[in-house]
Amino acid sequence: MSAVNLSYHKFIVYLITGLLLIPILAMLLYSISSSWGATILPDGLTLNWYWKLLTDTRFLAAFGRSLLISTAALALSVALILPAIFVVFYYFPKLDRLMNLLIMLPFAVPPVVSSVGLLQLYSDSAVPLIGTPWILLGTYFTIALPFMYRTLATGLSTIHLHDLMDAAHLLGASTTKAFLMIILPNLKKGLMTSVFLCFSFLLGEFVFSNMLVGARFETLQIYLYNMRQTSGHFTSALVMTYLLFIFLLTWLASRLGFNQSGVKS
Amino acid sequence: MSYVLASQLTKRFGDNTVFEKINFSIEKGEFITLLGPSGCGKSTLLRSLAGLNPIDGGEIHIENEDLTHTLPRDRGIGMVFQSYALFPNMTVAENIAFGLKMKKLSSVFIQSEVERVIELVELGGKEQQYPDQLSGGQRQRVALARALVVKPRILLLDEPLSALDAKIRKRLRQQIRSIQKELNLTTIFVTHDQEEAMIMSDRIFLMNQGEIVQKGTPEEIYTQPANEFVAGFMGHYNLVESHKAKQLFNIHTDNKVAIRPESIYVREAGRHYGSHISAPQIGIIKEHQVLGNVIRYRVAIDDCDLTVDLLNRSSERLLAAGQSLELLFNLNEIQPVSA
Repeated sequence: MSAVNLSYHKFIVYLITGLLLIPILAMLLYSISSSWGATILPDGLTLNWYWKLLTDTRFLAAFGRSLLISTAALALSVALILPAIFVVFYYFPKLDRLMNLLIMLPFAVPPVVSSVGLLQLYSDSAVPLIGTPWILLGTYFTIALPFMYRTLATGLSTIHLHDLMDAAHLLGASTTKAFLMIILPNLKKGLMTSVFLCFSFLLGEFVFSNMLVGARFETLQIYLYNMRQTSGHFTSALVMTYLLFIFLLTWLASRLGFNQSGVKS
Repeated sequence: MSYVLASQLTKRFGDNTVFEKINFSIEKGEFITLLGPSGCGKSTLLRSLAGLNPIDGGEIHIENEDLTHTLPRDRGIGMVFQSYALFPNMTVAENIAFGLKMKKLSSVFIQSEVERVIELVELGGKEQQYPDQLSGGQRQRVALARALVVKPRILLLDEPLSALDAKIRKRLRQQIRSIQKELNLTTIFVTHDQEEAMIMSDRIFLMNQGEIVQKGTPEEIYTQPANEFVAGFMGHYNLVESHKAKQLFNIHTDNKVAIRPESIYVREAGRHYGSHISAPQIGIIKEHQVLGNVIRYRVAIDDCDLTVDLLNRSSERLLAAGQSLELLFNLNEIQPVSA
């Protein structure tokens, strides 16, 4: 029975994966075809679009900006959320409920609405933020917050935080040392996962960067948007490159995650 | 002066007083058990000694040194937790070495010390394993080794056996006791299991509702309960109302009297009983439970129900419900207890 069941499950999984892969494979094919018009199959295969893309300095600059802003936003998130969540769980466990409410807010408000709100709020502020990457940095932090907080909260609730801290204290460690040597290594896996998840998410973010900053700070998605009038082969190559990058990153993340879990099996 | 001296210890959480003005002293090398029902404040008291819960009043001295306001890490106290509290990201050896590392000792010394305690808790060969690869009993032995390696002045054990199954618990409690004796280590053990407390302790501090109700050797606590609570907690004492005590045993007291179920005899014909044995009382068996080596009868003398424990010598002697028998009481073992 289980063998039949297993092959059935496998069939379903492959079927769904196959269905999901169709548009990506189609795009891949489109991106490596020289021209594909009235015929069933492309006229010829070429890597020309990729070459064009990768030698376009405007693309490279946009890619660089996206990497920079996402990395910076994530660095800020880690630096703020990690100590905050430790303080919440260790000293003020009652605040966890408030935090859970707070982190739901970015989901409750659609990006279009909140970007309009942000525009209104900061349009006449003394420090000009609108149109600069700085406002994006802050906005991206709020996007990363729920993902990061939830994963870390799950990680923290699976360990006996207070007992571990007490044990470390009695063995002579300060709170900081105990956090760095014992709590942090146990959160590493969750932290890495959420960082990579947020990274791919932020790399694909369009609404906020378009509304709040626009062409003045051309990120990858804005570049893609601006290139929409050019050849479809070229934009396909662009999207494929982007997907490949995300895929590589995810693969790297899972590799890192497994290596650092510390358990030899 | 005593090795550990606690005076007037008081702890409150908000308006709720966990314990108030607790006093005790412990000699070097003693194995003390804080015994009591859950919620009696025994774990909080233990954590206060370690400095993990700040106290609201009183003083703690160890070796004549005032530790009342000392940080936990400077108290020289080792502790083992019910949840083991092993560091999941470290191997057995790294877990044990942690305390020595914090003292910045040389790695050669650390290694030899770690090997020594691993030997002591019989965990040889497990050095490079991670806690989640070990069984519960093994984990708790790692926790014990980790607490012992820093040579603490006192060892605190917070219900270390409660999460383990019965067989491992029995073995581990023997192991803990023998290590404690070998090292002559002053130990305070918290449990709610009176059997565990009886077996392991030099002295038991029996706690109820934030108070130490009785201190004494297991023998003293068991045979001379200070009050009704102790009698009820330590065994299956029969508590008999004062007017019944007068009627049955001619004992005049305002309090209830406590009678141990195993101190009651069934009269055997032709046998001579001493003067400390009461006159026979006729009782009727209401029911029985076979506990294994002991058969526990519930016997009614008029309207007074008593528990009587008899050794399970042979199955033919099992007495059926409804049967009447003559009970004899050892008058020396009947004692008044305060409420």
